[in-house]
Amino acid sequence: MASIVFENVTKAFGDTLAVDNVSFEIKDNEFFCFFGPPLSGKTTILRLMLGLDSPDSGDIYIDGQKVTQLGAAERNMAMVFQNLALFPHMTALDNIRFPLVERRIPEPQIRAKVEEASDKLHIKHILHKPPAQLSGGERQRVAIARALVRDPVAYLMDDPISALDARLREETRVELKRIQREIGHTLVYVTHDQEEAMSVADRMAILKDGHVEQIGTPIEIYDQPANSYVAALLGAPRINLFNVEEHGKTWTAGDGLLDLQSENVPLGTKRIGLRPENLKIRDRSDKDLGEPAQVVSVEPLGGFTVVSVARKDNANEVFRAMLRGQPQIDVGTEVALGWDPSSMLFFDEGDRAISI
Amino acid sequence: MQRSVIFELIRYCLVLIALFFAMIPVFWMISMAFKPIAEWTASGADLTWWPKAPTLDNFRFIFGQNTNALIVELERTAGRAILASLLSSVIGTLIAMVVGTSAAYGLSRYNYGKNLPLALIQLRLFPPLAVMIPVMIMWTFLNLVDTWWGLSLIYGIVTLPFSFWLMKTYFDEMPKEIEEAALVEGCSRFRVFTRITLPMMAGPLASSALLVFILNWSDYLIALMLTTREWVTIPVYMASLSSSMTGQLYGAKAALGLIAAIPPVIFGIAIQKHLVRGLTFGALKQ
Repeated sequence: MASIVFENVTKAFGDTLAVDNVSFEIKDNEFFCFFGPPLSGKTTILRLMLGLDSPDSGDIYIDGQKVTQLGAAERNMAMVFQNLALFPHMTALDNIRFPLVERRIPEPQIRAKVEEASDKLHIKHILHKPPAQLSGGERQRVAIARALVRDPVAYLMDDPISALDARLREETRVELKRIQREIGHTLVYVTHDQEEAMSVADRMAILKDGHVEQIGTPIEIYDQPANSYVAALLGAPRINLFNVEEHGKTWTAGDGLLDLQSENVPLGTKRIGLRPENLKIRDRSDKDLGEPAQVVSVEPLGGFTVVSVARKDNANEVFRAMLRGQPQIDVGTEVALGWDPSSMLFFDEGDRAISI
Repeated sequence: MQRSVIFELIRYCLVLIALFFAMIPVFWMISMAFKPIAEWTASGADLTWWPKAPTLDNFRFIFGQNTNALIVELERTAGRAILASLLSSVIGTLIAMVVGTSAAYGLSRYNYGKNLPLALIQLRLFPPLAVMIPVMIMWTFLNLVDTWWGLSLIYGIVTLPFSFWLMKTYFDEMPKEIEEAALVEGCSRFRVFTRITLPMMAGPLASSALLVFILNWSDYLIALMLTTREWVTIPVYMASLSSSMTGQLYGAKAALGLIAAIPPVIFGIAIQKHLVRGLTFGALKQ
């Protein structure tokens, strides 16, 4: 039950800047996600939050209190580590009890708390076993239960469900979201899976090389990415980025496949982004002046079909369209590309988004 | 199928042969310990695997109960040597383990003293004899020669590199997140060490202690140079078991050897569980 604020926090390990002048505010009771590729500084941010590392410069506030100099034990946060970090010499039960026993909570309360947490996570039947005898999913639940028994200011989770198989992961993340709603605590969540981040987060931060690239709700970031890096990071299949080419007075993009003549392209646009669901495939007619495009692959996925196209004579880049249902398109068909002009994203020379 | 059975048979035979050769000296010691003096140096047709007339005379002899069969009179009994060995080996092992483990933990977790690990091993770079002469002079000045504490101290010092290096490897391998989890859950650094790290290290601690103990227990050189009469240890005492009349007292030596083998064996059996059990299995997701 707390807000967490980072103010110009920087942390370096040797010559590598793990976190570079990062500022953000996580609001009370928020499900906040950090999302970025490996080594983008996600874990370091969590460790700084926890007090396991201290920043080289900048300050950290919890509920308005400056905690930059406080140690991990004093910050009262709960953490689920990426590798779970269960205590191997204790049973699951003792693992879950540990935080309460260490804080000298009276025994009846400990029992009640453990009961509640193990109920929520459906692990009552395995409490007597040591971690070595548990399956991956069970260990994960025990680790989450260990974090849940306490009443911390915030829960921090470092990619806690990455070891589960796809279906269990989906279930667990829905459950996590539900539990977070129920107990109403701030939950800071780190993940490298964009689908996971988008589905659970109230708000999220996109990281790159220790920088925060953008903060917002998943939909805000998806619809209005701050730059092409963010645009490419979210969404699967990934966004199509077309380089804008100037031929005298005519403008084209994407190997000449998109005719931009009639479009309202803002000044300084160097690249255009089109999400696969906004890229349309149509039959090529005589009126089409642009270069012919050719279907290079068709991936039917049931509910929708991903069609990849490239310029016929000179295939430098492949663009992907996501079509509803199972349209009958054969590989090799000559097609033209269409799009909804309002769904276009424009990026300038520095790959920053141009707002219109 | 047939082939693999034959293969297995050959394998077992080879193992048995190897075991046979490895066990002969042990067997011979056990057998010798119970042989009367007449059988000690028997040869030819008189040579037997088992004692023809088993006796406990050898044990009685080293504990001072002289029997007629043994001509020599012992200056002092083996009891004193066993006490010296036990005291100095146990205390030496404790010193090496406590200091070595603490140093290893500190160096493994904190960013200080990067050169200490190498400095610690320097003592081992020289031939033991080269190190022992100065130590002997020092110990003389410090009045530590022929005392159980002087011997314990030097045992602790010379085996420190072993306990340190062994434990450091284990500490380095231990995932730091486990300790950090305990820190986050409200433990102090010291409490993390006692509640989490040490219990997790029970196996490595026990096996390192066994190794260090065996090193101390079987030391000959140091005890030979630093003890004279009062606190002579088992190996030195054993070497002295001879007489001008009968030569080497083989039976007495074997009896003492048999007794000397008991403590390491008991120690080993006691910690067997830890020797086999995996270190951190199950703590982390694979």
